Amino acid sequence: MKQATEIKNEIAAMVVTAWGEQPVFQAGDRIRIRTRSPIGHYRVPTYLRGKSGVVEQVIEPPAVDNEEEGYGRNAGKRLHYYRVAIPLNEIWLDYVGSPRDGLHIEVYETWLERI
Amino acid sequence: MTSTENLVKRLPNDIGGLPAEPIQRVEHSLEPWEKRCHALADVLDFHKIINTEEKRCGVEALGAEMVGKLSYYERWIVAFANILFRKQILTPEELARKMGEVEARWDGEAALGGLSDL
Amino acid sequence: MGMQGHSREADHDHAEISKSSPPQYYDIMETAVRELLIEKKMIEADEIRRQLEVLDSRAPALGAKIVARAWVDPAFRARLLANGRAACEEFGISFYDDTQLIVLENTEKVHNLIVCTLCSCYPRPVLGLPPDWYKLKPYRARAVIEPRSILAEFGTIIPDDVEVRVSDSTAMVRYLVLPRRPEGTEDFSEEELAATVTRDTMIGVVPATVVVGRIQQ
Repeated sequence: MKQATEIKNEIAAMVVTAWGEQPVFQAGDRIRIRTRSPIGHYRVPTYLRGKSGVVEQVIEPPAVDNEEEGYGRNAGKRLHYYRVAIPLNEIWLDYVGSPRDGLHIEVYETWLERI
Repeated sequence: MTSTENLVKRLPNDIGGLPAEPIQRVEHSLEPWEKRCHALADVLDFHKIINTEEKRCGVEALGAEMVGKLSYYERWIVAFANILFRKQILTPEELARKMGEVEARWDGEAALGGLSDL
Repeated sequence: MGMQGHSREADHDHAEISKSSPPQYYDIMETAVRELLIEKKMIEADEIRRQLEVLDSRAPALGAKIVARAWVDPAFRARLLANGRAACEEFGISFYDDTQLIVLENTEKVHNLIVCTLCSCYPRPVLGLPPDWYKLKPYRARAVIEPRSILAEFGTIIPDDVEVRVSDSTAMVRYLVLPRRPEGTEDFSEEELAATVTRDTMIGVVPATVVVGRIQQ
Protein backbone atom coordinates (compact mmCIF):
# COMPACT_ATOMS: atom_id res chain seq x y z
CA MET A 1 0.00 0.00 0.00
CA LYS A 2 1.28 3.45 -0.88
CA GLN A 3 2.09 6.06 1.76
CA ALA A 4 -0.28 9.02 2.03
CA THR A 5 2.52 11.42 1.09
CA GLU A 6 3.19 9.49 -2.08
CA ILE A 7 -0.45 9.75 -3.13
CA LYS A 8 -0.45 13.45 -2.25
CA ASN A 9 2.57 14.02 -4.45
CA GLU A 10 0.98 12.11 -7.31
CA ILE A 11 -2.19 14.17 -7.05
CA ALA A 12 -0.27 17.44 -6.76
CA ALA A 13 1.51 16.62 -10.00
CA MET A 14 -1.84 16.05 -11.74
CA VAL A 15 -3.74 19.09 -10.46
CA VAL A 16 -3.46 22.54 -12.00
CA THR A 17 -4.92 25.10 -9.58
CA ALA A 18 -6.99 28.00 -10.87
CA TRP A 19 -5.62 31.51 -11.22
CA GLY A 20 -5.46 33.17 -7.83
CA GLU A 21 -5.97 29.99 -5.82
CA GLN A 22 -2.37 29.64 -4.73
CA PRO A 23 -0.71 32.34 -2.67
CA VAL A 24 1.82 34.41 -4.59
CA PHE A 25 3.98 35.05 -1.53
CA GLN A 26 5.25 32.71 1.18
CA ALA A 27 6.34 33.27 4.75
CA GLY A 28 9.84 34.74 4.67
CA ASP A 29 9.42 36.62 1.38
CA ARG A 30 10.54 40.23 1.40
CA ILE A 31 7.82 42.56 0.17
CA ARG A 32 7.08 46.23 -0.27
CA ILE A 33 3.66 47.80 0.20
CA ARG A 34 2.70 49.66 -2.96
CA THR A 35 2.48 53.43 -3.07
CA ARG A 36 -0.75 53.91 -4.96
CA SER A 37 -3.29 56.43 -3.67
CA PRO A 38 -6.78 55.12 -4.26
CA ILE A 39 -9.74 57.47 -4.37
CA GLY A 40 -12.48 56.12 -2.15
CA HIS A 41 -12.36 53.13 0.14
CA TYR A 42 -9.02 51.60 1.06
CA ARG A 43 -7.79 49.44 3.91
CA VAL A 44 -4.04 49.97 3.70
CA PRO A 45 -3.23 52.95 5.90
CA THR A 46 -1.25 55.82 4.40
CA TYR A 47 1.50 55.41 7.00
CA LEU A 48 2.47 52.06 5.43
CA ARG A 49 2.62 53.01 1.76
CA GLY A 50 6.00 52.24 0.26
CA LYS A 51 7.32 50.45 3.38
CA SER A 52 9.23 47.19 3.15
CA GLY A 53 8.95 44.15 5.33
CA VAL A 54 8.69 40.39 5.49
CA VAL A 55 5.73 38.07 5.05
CA GLU A 56 5.06 36.36 8.39
CA GLN A 57 2.11 34.23 7.46
CA VAL A 58 -0.16 33.49 4.54
CA ILE A 59 -3.76 33.90 5.69
CA GLU A 60 -5.93 31.05 4.43
CA PRO A 61 -8.36 30.70 2.78
CA PRO A 62 -8.29 33.25 -0.05
CA ALA A 63 -10.80 36.04 0.39
CA VAL A 64 -12.67 38.79 -1.40
CA ASP A 65 -10.82 42.12 -1.68
CA ASN A 66 -12.22 44.16 1.20
CA GLU A 67 -11.75 47.37 -0.75
CA GLU A 68 -14.21 46.05 -3.33
CA GLU A 69 -16.40 44.61 -0.58
CA GLY A 70 -16.87 48.19 0.57
CA TYR A 71 -18.76 48.83 -2.65
CA GLY A 72 -21.01 45.81 -2.29
CA ARG A 73 -18.98 42.96 -3.73
CA ASN A 74 -19.86 40.06 -1.40
CA ALA A 75 -18.51 37.21 -3.51
CA GLY A 76 -16.35 36.55 -6.52
CA LYS A 77 -12.64 36.64 -7.21
CA ARG A 78 -10.56 35.74 -4.20
CA LEU A 79 -6.87 36.30 -3.48
CA HIS A 80 -4.80 36.01 -0.32
CA TYR A 81 -4.16 38.31 2.59
CA TYR A 82 -0.67 38.18 4.06
CA ARG A 83 0.37 39.06 7.55
CA VAL A 84 3.49 41.19 7.13
CA ALA A 85 6.05 42.38 9.67
CA ILE A 86 7.63 45.81 9.33
CA PRO A 87 10.05 47.29 11.87
CA LEU A 88 8.74 50.50 13.41
CA ASN A 89 12.02 52.27 12.70
CA GLU A 90 11.50 51.41 9.04
CA ILE A 91 8.10 53.14 9.11
CA TRP A 92 9.09 56.19 11.14
CA LEU A 93 12.44 57.88 10.53
CA ASP A 94 12.58 59.29 14.05
CA TYR A 95 11.00 56.35 15.85
CA VAL A 96 11.43 56.56 19.63
CA GLY A 97 11.60 53.13 21.21
CA SER A 98 13.54 49.95 20.73
CA PRO A 99 15.01 49.03 17.32
CA ARG A 100 13.34 45.66 17.84
CA ASP A 101 9.83 47.13 17.86
CA GLY A 102 7.63 46.13 14.96
CA LEU A 103 4.25 46.36 13.33
CA HIS A 104 2.22 43.47 11.99
CA ILE A 105 -0.68 43.95 9.63
CA GLU A 106 -2.71 41.96 7.12
CA VAL A 107 -2.33 43.21 3.57
CA TYR A 108 -4.17 42.06 0.46
CA GLU A 109 -2.19 40.54 -2.38
CA THR A 110 -2.93 43.45 -4.73
CA TRP A 111 -1.05 45.80 -2.43
CA LEU A 112 2.23 43.87 -2.27
CA GLU A 113 5.22 43.60 -4.57
CA ARG A 114 8.19 41.32 -4.19
CA ILE A 115 11.59 42.90 -3.47
CA MET B 1 -2.32 77.72 -1.46
CA THR B 2 -2.38 74.17 -0.19
CA SER B 3 -3.50 71.50 -2.58
CA THR B 4 -6.79 69.82 -1.75
CA GLU B 5 -5.44 66.48 -2.98
CA ASN B 6 -4.78 65.34 0.56
CA LEU B 7 -8.47 65.58 1.36
CA VAL B 8 -9.12 63.10 -1.43
CA LYS B 9 -6.11 60.89 -0.84
CA ARG B 10 -6.35 60.48 2.92
CA LEU B 11 -9.65 59.24 4.32
CA PRO B 12 -10.84 60.95 7.53
CA ASN B 13 -10.47 57.70 9.51
CA ASP B 14 -6.88 57.09 8.30
CA ILE B 15 -5.16 58.52 11.35
CA GLY B 16 -2.34 56.09 12.14
CA GLY B 17 0.74 58.12 13.01
CA LEU B 18 -0.95 61.51 13.14
CA PRO B 19 -0.27 63.71 16.16
CA ALA B 20 -2.75 63.19 18.99
CA GLU B 21 -3.33 63.94 22.65
CA PRO B 22 -2.85 61.72 25.69
CA ILE B 23 -5.39 58.93 26.06
CA GLN B 24 -8.41 59.64 28.16
CA ARG B 25 -9.68 56.43 29.65
CA VAL B 26 -13.21 57.13 28.55
CA GLU B 27 -15.70 54.32 28.73
CA HIS B 28 -19.45 54.59 28.65
CA SER B 29 -22.13 51.95 28.79
CA LEU B 30 -23.95 52.02 25.52
CA GLU B 31 -27.28 53.81 25.30
CA PRO B 32 -30.08 51.39 24.35
CA TRP B 33 -30.31 52.91 20.87
CA GLU B 34 -26.57 52.50 20.39
CA LYS B 35 -26.75 48.85 21.26
CA ARG B 36 -29.75 48.42 18.96
CA CYS B 37 -27.72 50.17 16.26
CA HIS B 38 -24.90 47.67 16.73
CA ALA B 39 -27.35 44.77 16.61
CA LEU B 40 -28.84 46.28 13.45
CA ALA B 41 -25.39 46.47 11.87
CA ASP B 42 -24.75 42.81 12.64
CA VAL B 43 -28.14 41.74 11.24
CA LEU B 44 -27.65 43.85 8.10
CA ASP B 45 -24.24 42.27 7.60
CA PHE B 46 -25.59 38.78 8.15
CA HIS B 47 -28.12 39.37 5.38
CA LYS B 48 -25.57 41.19 3.25
CA ILE B 49 -27.99 44.08 2.99
CA ILE B 50 -25.12 46.27 4.18
CA ASN B 51 -21.92 44.32 4.79
CA THR B 52 -19.41 45.50 7.39
CA GLU B 53 -17.03 46.89 4.82
CA GLU B 54 -19.86 48.83 3.14
CA LYS B 55 -20.63 50.30 6.53
CA ARG B 56 -17.00 51.41 6.94
CA CYS B 57 -17.03 52.88 3.43
CA GLY B 58 -20.29 54.67 4.23
CA VAL B 59 -18.84 56.20 7.39
CA GLU B 60 -15.77 57.40 5.49
CA ALA B 61 -18.05 58.93 2.87
CA LEU B 62 -19.65 61.17 5.51
CA GLY B 63 -16.56 63.32 5.17
CA ALA B 64 -14.15 64.80 7.66
CA GLU B 65 -16.53 67.21 9.39
CA MET B 66 -19.22 64.66 10.18
CA VAL B 67 -16.67 62.00 11.03
CA GLY B 68 -15.13 64.45 13.49
CA LYS B 69 -18.36 65.72 15.03
CA LEU B 70 -20.75 62.77 15.12
CA SER B 71 -20.26 60.10 17.76
CA TYR B 72 -19.43 56.52 16.85
CA TYR B 73 -22.97 55.12 16.47
CA GLU B 74 -24.35 58.39 15.13
CA ARG B 75 -21.96 57.92 12.21
CA TRP B 76 -23.19 54.37 11.71
CA ILE B 77 -26.88 55.15 11.56
CA VAL B 78 -26.44 58.10 9.17
CA ALA B 79 -24.20 55.93 6.98
CA PHE B 80 -26.87 53.20 6.98
CA ALA B 81 -29.52 55.70 5.88
CA ASN B 82 -27.33 56.93 3.01
CA ILE B 83 -26.47 53.41 1.86
CA LEU B 84 -30.11 52.26 2.03
CA PHE B 85 -31.08 55.27 -0.13
CA ARG B 86 -28.37 54.50 -2.65
CA LYS B 87 -29.48 50.87 -2.83
CA GLN B 88 -33.07 52.03 -3.27
CA ILE B 89 -34.19 50.06 -0.24
CA LEU B 90 -35.51 53.20 1.43
CA THR B 91 -36.24 56.66 0.11
CA PRO B 92 -35.38 59.87 1.97
CA GLU B 93 -39.08 60.76 2.06
CA GLU B 94 -40.00 57.42 3.57
CA LEU B 95 -37.40 57.75 6.30
CA ALA B 96 -38.29 61.35 7.08
CA ARG B 97 -41.94 60.44 7.36
CA LYS B 98 -41.22 57.48 9.64
CA MET B 99 -38.92 59.58 11.82
CA GLY B 100 -41.72 62.11 12.22
CA GLU B 101 -44.07 59.32 13.17
CA VAL B 102 -41.64 57.87 15.73
CA GLU B 103 -41.06 61.28 17.26
CA ALA B 104 -44.79 62.00 17.49
CA ARG B 105 -45.37 58.60 19.09
CA TRP B 106 -43.50 59.63 22.21
CA ASP B 107 -45.86 61.23 24.63
CA GLY B 108 -44.08 60.93 27.94
CA GLU B 109 -46.08 57.92 29.04
CA ALA B 110 -46.13 55.36 26.26
CA ALA B 111 -43.09 53.17 25.76
CA LEU B 112 -41.15 53.64 22.50
CA GLY B 113 -42.74 51.65 19.72
CA GLY B 114 -41.33 48.48 18.28
CA LEU B 115 -38.96 46.80 20.70
CA SER B 116 -40.47 48.27 23.87
CA ASP B 117 -38.90 45.57 26.04
CA LEU B 118 -35.49 47.18 25.59
CA MET C 1 -16.81 50.90 35.22
CA GLY C 2 -18.22 47.38 34.77
CA MET C 3 -17.46 45.94 31.38
CA GLN C 4 -19.66 42.92 31.64
CA GLY C 5 -22.08 44.33 29.08
CA HIS C 6 -25.24 46.34 29.52
CA SER C 7 -27.28 44.70 32.29
CA ARG C 8 -31.01 44.26 32.06
CA GLU C 9 -31.29 46.53 35.08
CA ALA C 10 -29.39 49.29 33.36
CA ASP C 11 -31.56 48.82 30.27
CA HIS C 12 -34.63 49.23 32.43
CA ASP C 13 -33.17 52.38 34.00
CA HIS C 14 -32.45 53.75 30.57
CA ALA C 15 -35.97 52.95 29.42
CA GLU C 16 -37.29 54.79 32.46
CA ILE C 17 -35.13 57.80 31.68
CA SER C 18 -36.24 57.67 28.04
CA LYS C 19 -39.86 57.78 29.14
CA SER C 20 -39.37 61.12 30.80
CA SER C 21 -37.35 62.81 28.03
CA PRO C 22 -37.78 62.74 24.29
CA PRO C 23 -35.62 60.35 22.29
CA GLN C 24 -32.77 62.12 20.59
CA TYR C 25 -32.41 62.60 16.83
CA TYR C 26 -30.19 59.57 16.14
CA ASP C 27 -32.23 57.36 18.46
CA ILE C 28 -35.29 58.28 16.39
CA MET C 29 -33.36 57.62 13.18
CA GLU C 30 -32.31 54.16 14.37
CA THR C 31 -35.87 53.26 15.36
CA ALA C 32 -37.24 54.52 12.06
CA VAL C 33 -34.68 52.67 9.92
CA ARG C 34 -35.21 49.45 11.85
CA GLU C 35 -39.00 49.64 11.71
CA LEU C 36 -39.02 50.37 7.98
CA LEU C 37 -36.72 47.43 7.27
CA ILE C 38 -38.94 45.17 9.38
CA GLU C 39 -42.07 46.44 7.59
CA LYS C 40 -40.39 45.68 4.27
CA LYS C 41 -39.54 42.21 5.59
CA MET C 42 -35.84 42.67 4.99
CA ILE C 43 -35.06 41.88 8.62
CA GLU C 44 -37.12 40.58 11.54
CA ALA C 45 -37.63 42.07 14.98
CA ASP C 46 -36.65 38.72 16.49
CA GLU C 47 -33.30 38.85 14.74
CA ILE C 48 -32.53 42.17 16.38
CA ARG C 49 -33.71 40.87 19.75
CA ARG C 50 -31.51 37.83 19.42
CA GLN C 51 -28.49 39.82 18.30
CA LEU C 52 -28.86 42.06 21.36
CA GLU C 53 -28.63 38.93 23.49
CA VAL C 54 -25.60 37.80 21.54
CA LEU C 55 -23.90 41.14 22.18
CA ASP C 56 -24.79 41.01 25.88
CA SER C 57 -23.28 37.56 26.16
CA ARG C 58 -19.85 38.55 24.84
CA ALA C 59 -17.59 39.96 27.53
CA PRO C 60 -13.96 39.81 28.66
CA ALA C 61 -14.84 36.91 30.98
CA LEU C 62 -14.86 34.67 27.91
CA GLY C 63 -11.38 35.69 26.85
CA ALA C 64 -10.18 35.33 30.44
CA LYS C 65 -11.32 31.71 30.53
CA ILE C 66 -9.53 30.98 27.26
CA VAL C 67 -6.32 32.57 28.54
CA ALA C 68 -6.46 30.71 31.86
CA ARG C 69 -7.01 27.42 30.02
CA ALA C 70 -4.02 28.17 27.81
CA TRP C 71 -1.91 28.77 30.89
CA VAL C 72 -2.76 25.41 32.45
CA ASP C 73 -3.05 23.23 29.33
CA PRO C 74 0.00 23.36 27.00
CA ALA C 75 -1.73 21.35 24.27
CA PHE C 76 -4.64 23.80 24.22
CA ARG C 77 -2.17 26.67 24.21
CA ALA C 78 -0.53 25.21 21.12
CA ARG C 79 -3.89 24.81 19.37
CA LEU C 80 -4.89 28.34 20.37
CA LEU C 81 -1.73 29.79 18.88
CA ALA C 82 -2.10 27.70 15.72
CA ASN C 83 -5.74 28.62 15.07
CA GLY C 84 -7.38 30.97 17.52
CA ARG C 85 -10.88 30.67 16.12
CA ALA C 86 -10.92 26.86 16.07
CA ALA C 87 -9.56 26.65 19.61
CA CYS C 88 -12.20 29.08 20.91
CA GLU C 89 -14.90 27.19 19.04
CA GLU C 90 -13.84 24.05 20.96
CA PHE C 91 -15.13 25.93 24.00
CA GLY C 92 -18.39 27.00 22.43
CA ILE C 93 -17.45 30.55 21.42
CA SER C 94 -19.01 31.24 18.04
CA PHE C 95 -17.61 33.65 15.46
CA TYR C 96 -19.41 35.60 12.74
CA ASP C 97 -18.82 35.03 9.02
CA ASP C 98 -15.19 34.63 7.92
CA THR C 99 -13.61 36.34 10.90
CA GLN C 100 -10.41 34.73 12.02
CA LEU C 101 -8.63 35.05 15.36
CA ILE C 102 -4.89 35.18 15.76
CA VAL C 103 -3.81 34.85 19.37
CA LEU C 104 -0.64 36.78 20.08
CA GLU C 105 1.56 35.26 22.74
CA ASN C 106 3.46 37.58 25.05
CA THR C 107 6.89 36.16 25.89
CA GLU C 108 10.08 37.38 27.51
CA LYS C 109 11.09 38.58 24.02
CA VAL C 110 7.83 40.04 22.65
CA HIS C 111 5.09 42.21 24.11
CA ASN C 112 2.00 42.47 21.92
CA LEU C 113 -0.43 45.37 21.56
CA ILE C 114 -3.52 45.48 19.36
CA VAL C 115 -5.11 48.44 17.60
CA CYS C 116 -7.33 49.28 14.65
CA THR C 117 -6.05 52.56 13.23
CA LEU C 118 -8.71 52.75 10.52
CA CYS C 119 -11.79 52.02 12.60
CA SER C 120 -12.35 49.87 15.69
CA CYS C 121 -11.84 46.22 14.73
CA TYR C 122 -11.74 44.24 17.96
CA PRO C 123 -12.05 40.56 18.95
CA ARG C 124 -15.73 40.98 19.84
CA PRO C 125 -16.61 37.29 20.00
CA VAL C 126 -14.26 36.82 22.98
CA LEU C 127 -14.10 40.28 24.53
CA GLY C 128 -17.45 41.94 23.82
CA LEU C 129 -17.53 45.57 22.72
CA PRO C 130 -14.42 47.75 22.85
CA PRO C 131 -13.99 50.62 25.32
CA ASP C 132 -14.35 54.16 23.98
CA TRP C 133 -10.65 54.93 24.33
CA TYR C 134 -9.82 52.10 21.94
CA LYS C 135 -12.05 53.69 19.28
CA LEU C 136 -10.96 57.31 19.70
CA LYS C 137 -8.16 59.18 17.94
CA PRO C 138 -5.42 59.30 20.59
CA TYR C 139 -5.05 55.53 20.91
CA ARG C 140 -5.54 54.76 17.23
CA ALA C 141 -3.18 57.48 16.00
CA ARG C 142 -0.41 56.93 18.53
CA ALA C 143 -0.31 53.14 19.02
CA VAL C 144 1.51 52.61 15.71
CA ILE C 145 4.04 55.43 16.14
CA GLU C 146 4.70 55.62 19.88
CA PRO C 147 3.47 52.38 21.43
CA ARG C 148 5.84 52.60 24.40
CA SER C 149 4.48 56.02 25.26
CA ILE C 150 0.95 54.59 25.15
CA LEU C 151 1.98 51.69 27.34
CA ALA C 152 3.57 54.11 29.80
CA GLU C 153 0.25 55.99 30.04
CA PHE C 154 -1.24 52.69 31.18
CA GLY C 155 1.59 52.25 33.65
CA THR C 156 3.36 49.58 31.58
CA ILE C 157 7.09 49.79 30.98
CA ILE C 158 8.63 47.26 28.62
CA PRO C 159 12.44 46.89 28.62
CA ASP C 160 14.28 47.90 25.44
CA ASP C 161 15.46 44.37 24.75
CA VAL C 162 11.85 43.22 24.45
CA GLU C 163 10.10 43.84 21.14
CA VAL C 164 6.89 45.83 21.37
CA ARG C 165 4.86 44.38 18.52
CA VAL C 166 1.82 46.33 17.40
CA SER C 167 -0.82 44.51 15.37
CA ASP C 168 -3.08 46.78 13.31
CA SER C 169 -6.31 45.02 12.25
CA THR C 170 -7.61 46.04 8.87
CA ALA C 171 -9.07 42.90 7.35
CA MET C 172 -10.93 39.84 8.58
CA VAL C 173 -8.35 38.82 11.17
CA ARG C 174 -8.92 39.82 14.79
CA TYR C 175 -6.32 39.61 17.52
CA LEU C 176 -6.30 38.60 21.16
CA VAL C 177 -3.22 39.05 23.31
CA LEU C 178 -2.28 36.03 25.43
CA PRO C 179 -0.66 37.73 28.42
CA ARG C 180 2.11 36.08 30.39
CA ARG C 181 1.03 34.21 33.46
CA PRO C 182 1.79 36.35 36.52
CA GLU C 183 4.46 35.35 39.01
CA GLY C 184 3.30 33.66 42.19
CA THR C 185 0.27 31.93 40.67
CA GLU C 186 1.61 28.38 40.75
CA ASP C 187 -1.07 27.31 43.22
CA PHE C 188 -3.94 29.23 41.61
CA SER C 189 -7.02 27.44 40.41
CA GLU C 190 -8.09 28.03 36.82
CA GLU C 191 -10.80 30.36 38.14
CA GLU C 192 -8.31 32.37 40.15
CA LEU C 193 -6.06 32.58 37.12
CA ALA C 194 -8.93 33.85 34.97
CA ALA C 195 -9.57 36.57 37.55
CA THR C 196 -6.11 38.04 36.85
CA VAL C 197 -6.93 38.35 33.13
CA THR C 198 -8.69 41.66 32.55
CA ARG C 199 -9.84 43.10 29.24
CA ASP C 200 -6.87 45.44 29.11
CA THR C 201 -4.40 42.57 29.44
CA MET C 202 -5.89 41.02 26.31
CA ILE C 203 -5.61 44.29 24.39
CA GLY C 204 -2.02 44.36 25.57
CA VAL C 205 -1.86 47.71 27.34
CA VAL C 206 -1.14 46.10 30.71
CA PRO C 207 0.36 42.79 31.85
CA ALA C 208 -1.70 40.34 33.90
CA THR C 209 -0.95 40.78 37.58
CA VAL C 210 -2.15 39.43 40.89
CA VAL C 211 -3.95 42.28 42.60
CA VAL C 212 -5.88 41.77 45.76
CA GLY C 213 -9.25 43.41 46.18
CA ARG C 214 -9.36 45.48 42.96
CA ILE C 215 -12.49 45.76 40.83
CA GLN C 216 -11.81 43.96 37.55
CA GLN C 217 -12.33 45.95 34.35
